[in-house]
Amino acid sequence: MSEYKELIRQFGKIRSYVRDFYVYGFKTREDFQEKSGRTYDNHRRRIESWFSDYIRTGRNGHKKSVFLTLDSSRIAVNPLYQAWKSKTFTGNDISLRFLLSDLLADGKPRSLEAIADEIQETYGCLIDVQAIRRKLTSYEKEGFIVREKHGKQYWYSKSLPLPQARPSLFPALALAVGFFQGVAPFGFIGSTVLDFWNEPNQYFRFRNDYLVHTLEDEILLPILTAIRQKRQILVTVQSGKSRRAVTYAVAPLKILTSAQTGRRYVCARQKDTRRFFSIRLDSVQSVTLMEPDACYDMDKKDFQGLAPYVWGVSFGNPRKQGPETVVMEIEFDEMDESFILTRLQREGRGGTLKRVKPGVYEYSRLCLDGAELLPWAKSFTGRVRSFHCSNPVVEKKFWDDMHRMQSYYFTAREET
Amino acid sequence: MEANNFSLFSELYTNYYQVVAKILQECARRPLTRRQMEDIAREHGYGESALSLVPQLILGAWPFLRQDKGSPGTYASALKNPLFPQPLTRLQKSWLKALMSDPRFCLFFTGHQLKELEEALFDVPPLYRTEDVCLFDQYGDHDPFSSVMYREHMLTILDALQERRFLDISYLAKKGGLITRAWLPCRLEYGQKDGKFRLYGMACTKNGRQRMDVLNVAKMLSVKKSPRIYPSPVEVDPFLDQLLCREPLVLEITTERNALERAMLHFSCYQKKVERQKGSHTYRCTIYYNKRWETELLVQILSFGPVLKVLGPPSFVKQIQKRVKNQALLMANMPP
Repeated sequence: MSEYKELIRQFGKIRSYVRDFYVYGFKTREDFQEKSGRTYDNHRRRIESWFSDYIRTGRNGHKKSVFLTLDSSRIAVNPLYQAWKSKTFTGNDISLRFLLSDLLADGKPRSLEAIADEIQETYGCLIDVQAIRRKLTSYEKEGFIVREKHGKQYWYSKSLPLPQARPSLFPALALAVGFFQGVAPFGFIGSTVLDFWNEPNQYFRFRNDYLVHTLEDEILLPILTAIRQKRQILVTVQSGKSRRAVTYAVAPLKILTSAQTGRRYVCARQKDTRRFFSIRLDSVQSVTLMEPDACYDMDKKDFQGLAPYVWGVSFGNPRKQGPETVVMEIEFDEMDESFILTRLQREGRGGTLKRVKPGVYEYSRLCLDGAELLPWAKSFTGRVRSFHCSNPVVEKKFWDDMHRMQSYYFTAREET
Repeated sequence: MEANNFSLFSELYTNYYQVVAKILQECARRPLTRRQMEDIAREHGYGESALSLVPQLILGAWPFLRQDKGSPGTYASALKNPLFPQPLTRLQKSWLKALMSDPRFCLFFTGHQLKELEEALFDVPPLYRTEDVCLFDQYGDHDPFSSVMYREHMLTILDALQERRFLDISYLAKKGGLITRAWLPCRLEYGQKDGKFRLYGMACTKNGRQRMDVLNVAKMLSVKKSPRIYPSPVEVDPFLDQLLCREPLVLEITTERNALERAMLHFSCYQKKVERQKGSHTYRCTIYYNKRWETELLVQILSFGPVLKVLGPPSFVKQIQKRVKNQALLMANMPP
């Protein structure tokens, strides 16, 4: 049985555990049935260790739940980035990381043999020459080390760090990284840049920041590469309810991120059915890049044609002809509640707004899936004079929800 | 999984390297005891890092320390050069290159700096294209990032933040009035949902009291540096603590329409606690929030409809009831 370690070899193995501890928080050991109890114990111990400042525990009867909780608007750097900084390494890895960097800091190029000799003389450390060669080659690929040919030999020197090579870019660049590590895709890379420069993010905080997105970055990168290279992908998705894994061949077209619900999707066209759909990135288990897709430009053009009729991420029922129409009237006091008009204007996503009479505005929009607009319409509860949808099921759902809200907040309470 | 041969999960970024670098940096200044090294490991590493890291350093498995002869029981760094800054990897440079096409990127730089950065990264491919990622539900009235005036204001604010310098700001207030006064910039907050920067600025009143105001950067009509400099850094969080709700919001969430999963993700950015309710298929969620966000939270809760119910505090329940009652009145007056 292997010894417990804080660090791990594969990121994918802990991804779903971190997500469950952070998003749900009420799950106990018994809820993690897919792997053994021991695997759960080890992952729980790691998570408690990585995020120790944000770990809380609760009790559900005699069962203990461990969860991660924090106010994301108060923190400088997403703590979930720590999961990306947990890769195992060997003794040679760490020794060469520090010794090569220190030895080559003078900028003087050296041969492999000279480097091996100097490591032994200066630091009293005997490391196999082939291990040093492999590490130098790897660092050259990473951009840490520059290799030049001198006669028959390669000589190695250290790349100059940006703050030294381009001092006039600082502190502006460090500030920009401090900001973008919190808002850009792959923000954890930005946090490693801050680590490398030993710069904290002192000045920026982020509201409505969905920290959990970082756990999908390993899925996001090959998808974005496929979009750029106009390739098909094979994407394996795990269904939320049945937990069954299904693989689709798709042309990925765009990443759709929600700033309000915390979900991130890849919008794609399924190759066999030609159907457009959106897949949640947190349900994707793996992505395989395929050949460049001859139909990619056509798929993209078709998608761009439909995009104005998509409210969120749904393309609706492909058997239906044309978009659905949603029309609602909103009532408010124009003098004292002008913020409602502001909301309709800025949150309406291209819908049409018309002043019907003083204090009453009509909002209308064509949507491939009118049901997607329901949460937004319900957010105006208390002000909806009328709500119509060309899909009667959507319209009925809206009014049913309004009735249920009334029965919960009034009838039930008044009776008690 | 790899793309462009980039490996996101790499030992190069491991937290242990950073902790070791911090210990060595300190050991280069003055020899440290084992306990001092453990303190650094606890501060910058994971919960159990000190147990794994420090013995490796002290016992010489990682050959970066030597025992200090002048002071027994202490260790000095065997390295000769500063550990920071370190050169960036291809992945890190590629990420920086991708940022350059983000409309917010230019807010941090002068024209000369942008040109220089382009030169520095000219042969680096971007990690991704900004246009391939879309925030589909961001509000339509985000800040004017390409406006010359807005950019100038941001550069002035960023300078002043670092210098702890007061700014004389003319600000368009809520009811259309213009306020001109001095604020000490303390923090910039960015909202993904509305695409707006907000400045947390400390105002000193005539009677010597200090107050933290929140100003929309886009509503600033003029921003000028003042000669006044504040002597020490200002902690913003204690000001925000004053605005924390006295009683948390308590919700009951059903499992209908996948509401639990939706709500958990939706409210994941708040400090919260979730419990399974015994004997029912419902969950109880307690959310600790800032009073400034109460209306926004109310709107979010309404958007869930009946699958999410507010149990408390009473003031919050009243606000929901008021809206539901208004809706009932509107529905009663509707033609059949």
